[in-house]
Amino acid sequence: MVNILFFAKSRELSGVNSAQITVLSQCTFTNLLENILQQYPSLAVISENIILALNEDYLSKDSDVNLQEGDEIAVIPPISGG
Amino acid sequence: MENHVEVRENKLDLEKITSTVTSPSCGAVSVFIVYQRNNFDGKRVKTLEYEAYIPMAKKKMFEVCQQIRDKWEVEKIAMEHRIGLVPVTEASIIIAISSPHRKESLEAVQYAIDTVKAIVPVWKKEIYEDESSQWKENKECYWKSS
Repeated sequence: MVNILFFAKSRELSGVNSAQITVLSQCTFTNLLENILQQYPSLAVISENIILALNEDYLSKDSDVNLQEGDEIAVIPPISGG
Repeated sequence: MENHVEVRENKLDLEKITSTVTSPSCGAVSVFIVYQRNNFDGKRVKTLEYEAYIPMAKKKMFEVCQQIRDKWEVEKIAMEHRIGLVPVTEASIIIAISSPHRKESLEAVQYAIDTVKAIVPVWKKEIYEDESSQWKENKECYWKSS
């Protein structure tokens, strides 16, 4: 189980701030995103427009991901700070 | 080397932030402030709502501080971002940097705001007078699709 956090538009679409989900411990960025989209199909409308963070660092879209129990994944829509 | 970063829900205190970076060895303090405009595409903005992934936002703000120190000789850096409801004409972020001479802090403060807009996970929703709203996207954000 990992913790997943949703922000901004992704929070509104998923309807939750955070959740615990089960994902593969070893996968690619694309697999992980697909897995999240399966569990939160309402995110499909922004699927081309989000990046994921793992333990407070951005994952690159071509990376392999190793996940451990208790890791924190965040769904990050385009940012607009400043 | 002093880096001060904060993400807070209350009004930013310009004088306090500026005073955290002053130093007897520094002849320059450069300050950059983002204020909220009251219009977008002809629509009147009523208010703005910011949210942040606070621990990651602070981590990325510290990374911006480090990147600045890799590029310029600056003394102290302070950046505070406001979240929650931010009224039009109030500040959403203040960045203050001190350096012995003005060139370094002037360049660094521009780099700081450009990089904050690119990597710090903070989101702004504009709420218009007709009650419609929109999540904004910084042009510096590399993963936005359009």
